[in-house]
Amino acid sequence: MKGEIFLLQTQVAEEVLARATATGADFGEIYLEDQTAQNIVLKSGKIETVNSGRTHGAGIRVFVGNQAVYVYTNDTSREGLLACAEKAAAAVNQGKGCTVAPFAVTHAEKPEEIRLLPTDVPAARKAEKLREADAAARKYSDEIAQVQVRYMDRVQDVLICNTEGTFVTDRRVYTRMAVNAVATDGKENQSGSMSPGGLMGFEAFDGRIDAAYCGREAARQAVTMLHAPVCPAGVFPVVIDNGFGGVIFHEACGHSLEATSVAYGISEFSGRLGEMIAAPCVTAIDDGTIVNEWGSTHVDDEGMPTGRLVLIDHGRLVNYMIDRLGSRRMNMPPTGSGRRESYAWAPTSRMRNTYIAAGEDDEQAMIAEMKEGLYAKYMGGGSVNPATGEFNFAVNEGYWVKDGKIVHPVRGASLIGRGSDVIMKIDRVGRNCTQAQGMCGSMSGSIPVNVGQPMIRVSSLTVGGR
Amino acid sequence: MEVSKFMDLLLESAGKNGIGPAEIYYEDNDSFSAKAQRGVIDSYEVSSTCSLSMRGSVDGKMGFASTEAFDEDSAEYMIRAVRESALLNEAEEQDEIFAGDEHYPEVEAEEDDLDSVSAEEKLQLALKAEAAAKDADPRIAQTEGASVSTQVSHSMIRNTYGLNLSSTRKLFVAYALPIAKDGESTATGFKMKYGRKLRELDPEELGREAAADTVAQLHAEPVTSGEYRIIFRHDAMQSLLQTFSGIFSAENAQQKMSLLAGREGEEIASPLVSITDDPLRRGGLATSAFDGEGSATFRKAVVEKGVLKTLLHNRKTARKQGVKTTGNARRAGGMHVAPSNFYIEPGTQTLAELMQEMGDGLLITDVSGLHAGANPISGDFSLLSKGFVVRGGKQAEPVERITVAGNFYQLLKSVRAVGSDLDFPGSSIGCPSVDVGVMPVSGK
Repeated sequence: MKGEIFLLQTQVAEEVLARATATGADFGEIYLEDQTAQNIVLKSGKIETVNSGRTHGAGIRVFVGNQAVYVYTNDTSREGLLACAEKAAAAVNQGKGCTVAPFAVTHAEKPEEIRLLPTDVPAARKAEKLREADAAARKYSDEIAQVQVRYMDRVQDVLICNTEGTFVTDRRVYTRMAVNAVATDGKENQSGSMSPGGLMGFEAFDGRIDAAYCGREAARQAVTMLHAPVCPAGVFPVVIDNGFGGVIFHEACGHSLEATSVAYGISEFSGRLGEMIAAPCVTAIDDGTIVNEWGSTHVDDEGMPTGRLVLIDHGRLVNYMIDRLGSRRMNMPPTGSGRRESYAWAPTSRMRNTYIAAGEDDEQAMIAEMKEGLYAKYMGGGSVNPATGEFNFAVNEGYWVKDGKIVHPVRGASLIGRGSDVIMKIDRVGRNCTQAQGMCGSMSGSIPVNVGQPMIRVSSLTVGGR
Repeated sequence: MEVSKFMDLLLESAGKNGIGPAEIYYEDNDSFSAKAQRGVIDSYEVSSTCSLSMRGSVDGKMGFASTEAFDEDSAEYMIRAVRESALLNEAEEQDEIFAGDEHYPEVEAEEDDLDSVSAEEKLQLALKAEAAAKDADPRIAQTEGASVSTQVSHSMIRNTYGLNLSSTRKLFVAYALPIAKDGESTATGFKMKYGRKLRELDPEELGREAAADTVAQLHAEPVTSGEYRIIFRHDAMQSLLQTFSGIFSAENAQQKMSLLAGREGEEIASPLVSITDDPLRRGGLATSAFDGEGSATFRKAVVEKGVLKTLLHNRKTARKQGVKTTGNARRAGGMHVAPSNFYIEPGTQTLAELMQEMGDGLLITDVSGLHAGANPISGDFSLLSKGFVVRGGKQAEPVERITVAGNFYQLLKSVRAVGSDLDFPGSSIGCPSVDVGVMPVSGK
């Protein structure tokens, strides 16, 4: 894969778009992708698999009013794309049609500089980082029974063009490492994990990803949880630490602000722009522009430039995340939020780097003033039903707080609730906002996103435990 | 270039580049899906894709690579990537490329009608299902859609020993997602049907059943936190078994990721629990005469009356343990282990009888957030759940926003009764409803 390339000639693109919209569609789009990825897995101290893969294909999408047709294939030859366009056109039998506007040919602007393109780095050099993490995890404790380390990189070249004249190429370079450590006492297993990454090349290991630290932290979590009693169940105040703690906002609120659920009035936040939907201490932002961040984008997967979008301003709902189709359905402008896993998924409204902005509260006082409750240091993943707002997520490392003091670690805790309740019940927001990386799965596949927040407190939340 | 030519080119240049033996796995897939929402076809998707992966041995070490582009650049890339991958591979036990078994079981081809059903007919089915859901009850305010999709896929294994196996899969999946509203209460539901004869699908029935399930969840409230007798309905139990099916993998056991390592012959579950892996099950979603590395497949008891009979193996894990493969090799990046049609054997009691016998407790019909609330290594789970209160042996008011917590290893032992309603909800993993005894519930 040589530098950023035009994967398609403009004349062919024009011909394909004209064919796809010939039966009445009023918008047509081509998304063409060529991606090279490498995954390396180390288990039991040894490199177990090295897997390289090339993803290659194209998706053609047309709209007729608020309805969408999506056709995709691996055959990106002129003939293959025209065949795809025929299939898209065949699904349409009405509509006002459109003409293909002259293309404004551009490369997406990228604020970051990729210093070490992963495809130029030998796998053996990547493997060294895995060994470093593995050794640090094992050294932490004799109770560490198993360590698995994964390294993942990908270089994704895309071309997005449409009947409105967009013709943009983009290159997205991702690098990530994930460490999972298992501690055992012979009868029970507990695990811990760390998985930092960035929109960057192998230079991620110069500063952003500290392999040894990841190994130690994963091991420390696993060992801590091995010796922790199970978390009490009930309704308690909960303090959630910064960084990955932001998954609470992502699940409890973020998904319900995506056009996917807002457009048809399904979300509990539909039709509530301008209303106070959260406590006044809550400001929440979805920002695609942070340099090198895992969830950042240059242009979205519909060719729109990225941006910084305030979702909630001091408790007031001010914006939704809107893709092109959502924009038609909601009669509001798109926000550069159209994202997809690959050509095999039609894009839809998705989050980027989504976080609760820093507040003014003192972190130590937050715990000291809470009497009895849970301090969630590391959160696991979660999920939400946008129609009811019900969410749940796991606490990977938690501590029980009594009389305002942390007394011991607790395992097996989960947090459940309803999004609209929980963001009203946030009563403290700390000063130090940090970000953490995750993969978010939804209607357009699995995509990289950041979650983030400073330390926050929720005045009462259902804690699932035993 | 044509895929068959690309395969020839790859196998030939593998040999020239010191890769041998070598093997290609190829898959293609044609799919169609349409979703009706608000009375119109809201989304419509058609695809035709193929992918190819290759593994090959260099100095006895295995390398892997895959591609979706079939040009000369890709062929070079594949050879280079397989070599790089093999040269770094340090695993003590290496996967092997297999020349093939002498005999493969007959898998009866299921009749289907998928090729003859037109796109227009599929759209009508989706529209009818959505309309039926809305018409079934005035409280169904809208839906998140009703969808009909079909998939036809072929897979093929070819290697330098001359092995050449192929199989075809055909399937339709239809589902409806109603949303019910009554006053302040909102409930969502989901019902799925699948099979190989789309003309036998009754879209009205699908819509009605989905609506009935959804409306039943209206005005659900949490119960008070405490210990409850629990029955997991077949679908909720299936979610649990699917999440924890990895504990039966010899690969996980050998890597200390499963607590079932070395426990073959021991009682690991209640005597009421038998678990079968049957790759030859008629109509199963994972039915195939061969596994991911070309071994012939067969039916086997994994747990028999509570006793662990075998873990699931591929050739590598079997060799390491000095046993024969169970035909459960699964390709996913490298070569791994996965169940085929995998299920808890049904008992004789209906769900109503299970509830009658339980008396008071909870019937859990849905668990969510399994990727977050369940730890497949420790077996611990704490899951957001929905269902119904069971009072005096009868299903009573709906329950939501509760978590049910436990440990899957302990759950297997605490089973008090197994129902007769074995179901595979659009999955190759199936369960009947199961009374799992007392578990802690967190609610209000």
